[in-house]
Amino acid sequence: MQPRRRVPASRWLAVAALVLAAAGCTPQSVTEQGQAVWSLYRLFLYIAAVVFVVVSGLVIWSVIRYRRRDDELPTQTHGNNRLELTWTLIPTVIVLALFVFTLRAQDKVLDTSGKPDVNVTVTAFQWSWRFTYVGSGAEIVGSPETIPEMVVPVGQRVRVKLVSADVVHSFYVPQTLFKRQAIPGTDNTFDLTFEKVGLYHGQCTQFCGLQHSDMVFRVRVVSPGEYQSWLAAATRRGQAGKPGT
Amino acid sequence: MTDEAGVLLRVSIFGFVAGTIYWFLSYEALGTVALLLLGAGPGFAGLILVQEQRQRGGTGESRADAMRRLAGIPPQDPPGPRDLEADDLGVLPLPTIWPLAASLGVAVLFTGLIYGLWLVILGIGLLGYAAWGWLAAVNRENRYGRIQTDTQAPSPQSGPVSDPNPYPNPPEQDHRSGR
Amino acid sequence: MATTELPLPALPEAHHEEPAGIVEYLTTVDHKKIGILYIFTSFAIFLAGGVLSLVVRWELARPGLQVLGENTYNQVFTMHGTLMIFLFAAQVSTGLANYMVPLQIGAADVAFPRANAMSYWLYLFGSLIVLSSFFVSGGPAAVAWTAYPPLSTREYFQGTGMDLWIIGLAVVGVAGILGAVNLVTTIFRMRMPGMTMFRLPLFTWGVLVNQLLILFAFPPLTVVFALLFLERNFGAQFFDPTFGGSPILYQHIFWFFGHPEVYIIILPIFGVISEVIPVFSRKPLFGYRAMVFAFFGIAALSFGVWAHHMFTTGLVYLPYFSIMSLLIAVPTGIKVFNWIGTMWRGAITLSTAMLMALGFILVFVVGGITGVMLASPPIDFAVNDTYFLVAHFHYIMVGGLLYGMFAGFYLWFPKFTGRLLSERLGRWHFWTFLVGFNVTFFFQFLVGLDGMPRRIADYQIQRWETANLLSTVGSFLIAVSVVIFIWNFLVSIRRGEPAGDDPWEGNSLEWVTSSPPPSHNFHHLPEIHSERPAFDYRHRDNPAFAGGVHSDPERLDRG
Repeated sequence: MQPRRRVPASRWLAVAALVLAAAGCTPQSVTEQGQAVWSLYRLFLYIAAVVFVVVSGLVIWSVIRYRRRDDELPTQTHGNNRLELTWTLIPTVIVLALFVFTLRAQDKVLDTSGKPDVNVTVTAFQWSWRFTYVGSGAEIVGSPETIPEMVVPVGQRVRVKLVSADVVHSFYVPQTLFKRQAIPGTDNTFDLTFEKVGLYHGQCTQFCGLQHSDMVFRVRVVSPGEYQSWLAAATRRGQAGKPGT
Repeated sequence: MTDEAGVLLRVSIFGFVAGTIYWFLSYEALGTVALLLLGAGPGFAGLILVQEQRQRGGTGESRADAMRRLAGIPPQDPPGPRDLEADDLGVLPLPTIWPLAASLGVAVLFTGLIYGLWLVILGIGLLGYAAWGWLAAVNRENRYGRIQTDTQAPSPQSGPVSDPNPYPNPPEQDHRSGR
Repeated sequence: MATTELPLPALPEAHHEEPAGIVEYLTTVDHKKIGILYIFTSFAIFLAGGVLSLVVRWELARPGLQVLGENTYNQVFTMHGTLMIFLFAAQVSTGLANYMVPLQIGAADVAFPRANAMSYWLYLFGSLIVLSSFFVSGGPAAVAWTAYPPLSTREYFQGTGMDLWIIGLAVVGVAGILGAVNLVTTIFRMRMPGMTMFRLPLFTWGVLVNQLLILFAFPPLTVVFALLFLERNFGAQFFDPTFGGSPILYQHIFWFFGHPEVYIIILPIFGVISEVIPVFSRKPLFGYRAMVFAFFGIAALSFGVWAHHMFTTGLVYLPYFSIMSLLIAVPTGIKVFNWIGTMWRGAITLSTAMLMALGFILVFVVGGITGVMLASPPIDFAVNDTYFLVAHFHYIMVGGLLYGMFAGFYLWFPKFTGRLLSERLGRWHFWTFLVGFNVTFFFQFLVGLDGMPRRIADYQIQRWETANLLSTVGSFLIAVSVVIFIWNFLVSIRRGEPAGDDPWEGNSLEWVTSSPPPSHNFHHLPEIHSERPAFDYRHRDNPAFAGGVHSDPERLDRG
């Protein structure tokens, strides 16, 4: 029985999904820092799509065109120096180019040279978060049952100092396209400048024990005016154990 | 140098070069040490192989090749690392329980680190017993197990041997189309 | 071309009758039997780890905790990863290597046959120690297969299950190192006359590089386990910052092992693919030397990239690890192009082994290009520790590893047993796995990009449900494909078509001997003139290939 020539299902799925992804079913960034990541990702994705289409195309074409038809041995080619050199050099060049683009994006993402407008110390603990607004008395503490909200102003540079009270955790807000581990004994600092008002989901993404999946938080991005009034009220309250506003 | 020495020395060079570059880029101690050890390990082994080869004659020429050259016999296709010689065709070891026993001893010993010294001692005892049995078996087979062969190395001149095991077997079915 | 009659050894006088039955396997020092033991044991562990993954997928199909509590879920995914990575993936290739390498180099056995047996038993006992953690109070470890401290220290996980995990894996690590010494020595020292290094078949090269990796990567793992064990049980403070220790120390040492580990797993598979494709394209492997150097390039680079698993710590030098990780794409790409070059203008037979190899290429490329994405720190910041990462490594570890493993099984089952696996069932196996595998893991890329973290027992975000449900359906389809394979095995081992010595017109030396081989492997050995001794022997009367000259990569026209 001759097997029918069929294009493997994976190929169609992959193409369709890549089209969807490229069309924007992947998260854009809501921060300034994350925009660089989004463009970089798109570059990698397009190159990846081309590579996949070329490779699978060649494989499928060979299978169709070069099927065994008789007992004659095909020409026993052992290699081709020029071809092999080409397909070594071209990927190397592509990879080096990707590295250069990576460095550029990385500098934008990790840049903490600007003066921050807001300083928050985020303490990760089993199994929730504490947000302490440096310079005021405002502090938000959550628990697995009550999801804490970190309130920040839009368009302003928020400097996060990330610490851990116990095991390794990770601070991740998917729509920022960024995450950082909270490691006991280390302070990790990074900046986020939110560009869109909204409520963003966040979650611990470094496995940290029993209720790791409950270690959720939110970031509420508001206008600078709203932020100031919220901060004043939170400072007055100045208590631990009060989630949200 | 031999191929094997070449492989090891190249790995070693990589380890040293990568380790050095990494140190000056990152000043991170652990990774640097790990990479430098990656250089030192195979480097050491490779140098030993080179040394051994020098002792043997220095050109990578095997003893059989040298003898052929001296006798005026044209060289064969490149031989393996050595031609079959009498000492090489030792018997394979006989089936034995000692590897299993020794492994059990190791496993018990390691598990003893959790459960207490008594189990560690039990493991050491079992391992020791297995080691003793193993060495006894090796000794016994060495004494009685060497075969006597003629010392003539196999050569292409010996002609085709009538083959009781015909090769290739004609395939009973046509496997090409893949039923 | 002559064959060489090997004088058969005379057995010593005190010889007792051959052990039979179970005792035969308990006392064997024959690499072929040991290889079979490795394959069966690792496959059994694969089935156990696979069941654990089905439990995970069952729980994740819908939001809300349906069947497991959080602690049990954490234990299940920890042990799934542990069984698959530490106790199955590397050992199934070790089994194939144990069986095939001496045959491929023309040796009668490995360099140290008794130590070879010891490696297997250490692996078995170590695995049993790890599995015993299911039966102690507190149950098995629930710290993820990576077991980062402080979570894995006594303060946060008190149970003995964690200690049994460490000890069992340490014993398995010793097994690996012992086996590596054995196989490296065998390949360096026990090749038959004429078998130069550059005439070795690619599977043996893959094994050589893989065992060298084990030799240098396993000791750091043993060290870090020792440190963790001392921290848990003897009051050491390597990882506790309160006392001057550092949690990141663990991550560095662990990943210095952990990254080479994934290449340890996949390199023999590359070797298998490099055996299958030339045979079923009826052409020599395209670019043999480049393939060998690519093996070494990958292995060397794999030691320089470990901290790409630590990009999100904020504590590693990003550019170095990024460029090294990106560069691995080059030798890997060389391999893929060489496989295509082998097929190009060949005469391809779509046997099941070849289908598996083709499936391997397609899924491995997906895994590889997503790996390139992850090598870029900014992208890694976005998608690390999400299902994007999970999908990436499962494309390699399930798609790549399993396709390659099955390709090896379909190729070499006739050599092991003298019978062929059913091609019809093989096709069902292939297509079911292809669909099941892609349905399981492709949607995980999408849901990971949407922000779903990994290692969570539950999620509340409704829009993630569809992808998870589909993924679960796919995973059960994978299970069906494995059942089909097991059925194929059971049916074929009794009633499979007799295979003869060389059903596939193979290239390497194992096809010269009978199926299965005699206990000392060969009655007769042909002369070696190229990397395709069986091919040369088959064509010894064909003037176009006389004496194997035209097939020797040392002396041909390479255009």
